[in-house]
Amino acid sequence: MPHDSYKALYLHIPFCVKRCGYCDFATQAVARDSSLIDEHVEDLCLQIRRKAKEGELGEIETVYIGGGTPSHIGMSRLSMLLYTLSLSMRLEPDVECTMEANPESLDERMVRDIWALGVNRLSIGVQSFDDAVLQTLGRAHDADAARRAIAVAQERFDNVSLDLMCGIPGQSVESFAASVDDAVCLGVTHVSVYPLTIEPFTRFDKMVARGELEEPDDDVEAEHMEIAERILVEAGFHRYEVASYAKPGFECRHNKAYWTGVPYLGLGRAAATMTQNAERRMRVQDGVVTDDLDPRQMAAEDLMLGMRMSEGVSQELIDRAAVLIPRMSEVVDDLVDRGLAFRDGDRLKPTKQGWLCGNELYGALLDLAP
Amino acid sequence: MSLEALVCRLAPYERQVMANNAQEATHDPTHIRNFSIIAHIDHGKSTLSDRVLEMTGTVAKRDMKDQLLDSMDIERERGITIKSQAVRVDYTADDGQVYQFNLIDTPGHVDFTYEVSRSLAACEGAVLVVDATQGVEAQTVANAMMAMNANLEIIPLINKIDLPSADPDRCREEIEDGLAIPADDAVLASGKTGEGVHDLLEAVVYNIPAPTGEADAPLRALIFDSYFDAYRGVVALIRVVDGSIRKGDRIRMIATGVNALVEEVGARRPAEVPLDCLSVGEVGYLVTGLKDVSQVKVGDTITMAEGGVSEALPGYREAKPMVYTGLFPIDSDQYEPLKEALEKLSLNDPALIWEPETSHALGFGFRVGFLGLLHMEVIKERLEREFGLDLLATAPSVEYRVHRQGGEVLSIRSPQEMPDPGEIDFIEEPYLKAKILIPPDYVGAVMDLTVQRRGVFTTMSYLSQTTVEMLWEIPLSELIMDYFDKLKSSTKGYASLDYEFEGYKPSELVKLDILLSGKPIDALSFIVHKDKAYDRGRVLCEKLKEIIPRQMFEVPIQAAVGGRVLSRQTVKAKRKDVLAKCYGGDISRKRKLLEKQKAGKKRMKAIGNVEVPQEAFMAILKVDD
Repeated sequence: MPHDSYKALYLHIPFCVKRCGYCDFATQAVARDSSLIDEHVEDLCLQIRRKAKEGELGEIETVYIGGGTPSHIGMSRLSMLLYTLSLSMRLEPDVECTMEANPESLDERMVRDIWALGVNRLSIGVQSFDDAVLQTLGRAHDADAARRAIAVAQERFDNVSLDLMCGIPGQSVESFAASVDDAVCLGVTHVSVYPLTIEPFTRFDKMVARGELEEPDDDVEAEHMEIAERILVEAGFHRYEVASYAKPGFECRHNKAYWTGVPYLGLGRAAATMTQNAERRMRVQDGVVTDDLDPRQMAAEDLMLGMRMSEGVSQELIDRAAVLIPRMSEVVDDLVDRGLAFRDGDRLKPTKQGWLCGNELYGALLDLAP
Repeated sequence: MSLEALVCRLAPYERQVMANNAQEATHDPTHIRNFSIIAHIDHGKSTLSDRVLEMTGTVAKRDMKDQLLDSMDIERERGITIKSQAVRVDYTADDGQVYQFNLIDTPGHVDFTYEVSRSLAACEGAVLVVDATQGVEAQTVANAMMAMNANLEIIPLINKIDLPSADPDRCREEIEDGLAIPADDAVLASGKTGEGVHDLLEAVVYNIPAPTGEADAPLRALIFDSYFDAYRGVVALIRVVDGSIRKGDRIRMIATGVNALVEEVGARRPAEVPLDCLSVGEVGYLVTGLKDVSQVKVGDTITMAEGGVSEALPGYREAKPMVYTGLFPIDSDQYEPLKEALEKLSLNDPALIWEPETSHALGFGFRVGFLGLLHMEVIKERLEREFGLDLLATAPSVEYRVHRQGGEVLSIRSPQEMPDPGEIDFIEEPYLKAKILIPPDYVGAVMDLTVQRRGVFTTMSYLSQTTVEMLWEIPLSELIMDYFDKLKSSTKGYASLDYEFEGYKPSELVKLDILLSGKPIDALSFIVHKDKAYDRGRVLCEKLKEIIPRQMFEVPIQAAVGGRVLSRQTVKAKRKDVLAKCYGGDISRKRKLLEKQKAGKKRMKAIGNVEVPQEAFMAILKVDD
């Protein structure tokens, strides 16, 4: 279908050194020298070239190389990938280009080389600075490795992000708070904080079922989320999305694209692509259409995604939705009455309560156009 | 080759098929055998019936579906029979003669005792099936008693002898000691392998008497089941006792006084085969064209409209509901569809009665009366499955008699109808006579449990060395509170239970209210004995605390009698729900998750602003003492 230009590009690297107990992402533990990785990278490069020739990469403003663990595949493949990318699209400093890395596979050389090849943001999967907690999670690094990786990254990158996890069995409030403090002290500019979720078919899921692992407690997770906000806001971070904190000017533009209805192209196995025009929005993953939305559903989805962000949604967006969905204003009033959202000037924004009980808030919005 | 020679060379099975095709069946009453197969639940009655159909060639093997006679999905799934069935089978006996067998399958559950008794009245004999691994159980005794009361010749059959744990000798002993039925000649059979089924068929020919009746007398026929067919009107299963009935006859139902034209008569093999006439002793179906199944009631007598008899056959009784529950659509748009569905189901089920009910908490719905809990579950399941309704059922209640100051008597079927305590003189509640069979080791456990449930012990006797029969009087309201499950678990599954209505007795009863967020929820209130109110209230509050999910705000749960709070629990406010990543590929997943959550909420009812799941209304049934 004729569609609006993609603005965001996602490249998926589905390989890790090992699979963590909680992980249900599209990835697999594969040795660094496996030919599977070569095949995948070659295939990615070909797809990038093809899309470039088709003119789909002309307006890309953000790139995100995620996984899996992109740093796991080593520098020679990464340089091939990034070189292909720079041949295929405009990869200038104003284009945000993020790469994910894990501490155990990020070294000084890789930092310098990817920087030179156009990556300008690094997101490091730290999860915690407590060795016991890292062991519970089954991570491949320890706290020292994480600190080292961050220091190395900061030699070139001023835009470094960390992932932290809370609500992990055995993780005390003190342990979690100390990890957040560490992130602040290390001087990173962006932090993502997620509560541990037990996903079906993961090793953790089985362990919980067998009683070997305590199930994360919602109250504890809520408390952790509140602690993270207090520490990070005090340190000058801004909570711009329910789980994302940034120093001014360091918000992740690529992720914001997901929450603002911007069309994105995903390449590599399991990567999702969202293609749309004014009449229709489709999401496709591995050749399968996972969503096919009409304008009403698009409007409802944009509101739902928008309410993940602290800036919420504009009255203009609500008004546009109201044209298609008559009970719009009634639902907004109800969300405000229930303390899930509040009005701030001409914007509707989520309250703290709305963020914590996100499913209530998002469910009500998505339900506008089932 | 002559036809005779050909027949001789064929296997008995094919011979049977040929005999059927030749329609050699006789109307001579001496060659008719009407019988029923009776058993405790799960003793293999339906499988055995199937084997009889198969071995007589009535149903070819390739058309066999397991448990053919149970035609409803729910019957097959639950392994129980709800409606009666009658199948005609032609059997060429070892004496070379062809006999017409009418096999009448009866419902297999205590809820349907009356239907069973009418089906038995259509028979001369019964095959009593006893599971060789289980022995005599409560309904074995109850069914055998009913068969004896109906003066039936009983052929004991010990089933499942192919199982390694089969103990036919013990079964024989129990049948003789416990039921006083000679069991030396009991047929040993296996419905699964077909072993012994031939012996059974021969025993039916020789031991079960032929029907007696006057061929020339005016028509009298017993209705032992009826149902509504959208294309043909009410269809009845009948047994001709005297005279004969043919297409075009004008008939009259004696108890209801309704006249009708016979549009068709015939037999089921099991597909319907129209016949000219059903004559004395025969069993078959009758198509009336009537629109309402309550005009053709089970147990009623059919005679000729002109020149018929005036005296009905004995044993007619109105089917009376024992248990009442409120059925409410979760989505109020489904009120009319629910009404239509109830109308449709009651066309076929005269025991199903209902009237509109309004609840502050649940809106508009119906108070529905059932024969028992199984009947209730089956109806609710059919409403949901066959009519696509989402229903909420309130805790079952019984019919109480409230004597008001000043002598007025109210019958109330719902706790909501209970007058203020000040207006009440006294209340009566229904009692049952319950018969419990257990091995002697469990007498103490059953005593404890049943006394706790306000049971009054009547007598106890040893049916055999291994089986004790205990008789109790127990309030129906206690029995419907998962008594049977408790009985089973406190006797390691050995106990079996059978009951019948005893009568009304005065009881000190109070209405217990449940309050959510300070507001009484009428649909959660129930009637309980005064001495139990505190315990039940406390336990129910605890149960509800587990069942009601955390909401965005705190929800206090209180139990109160007449405004006095007996117990309180609090559902804490929800602090956080699932919070997962939501990047590119996660968005589709998130949508699915939220849709699933919404579907989950559909199973809940918003009462005020509290989302209450279905189970909450049934929690009172699961209250441990």
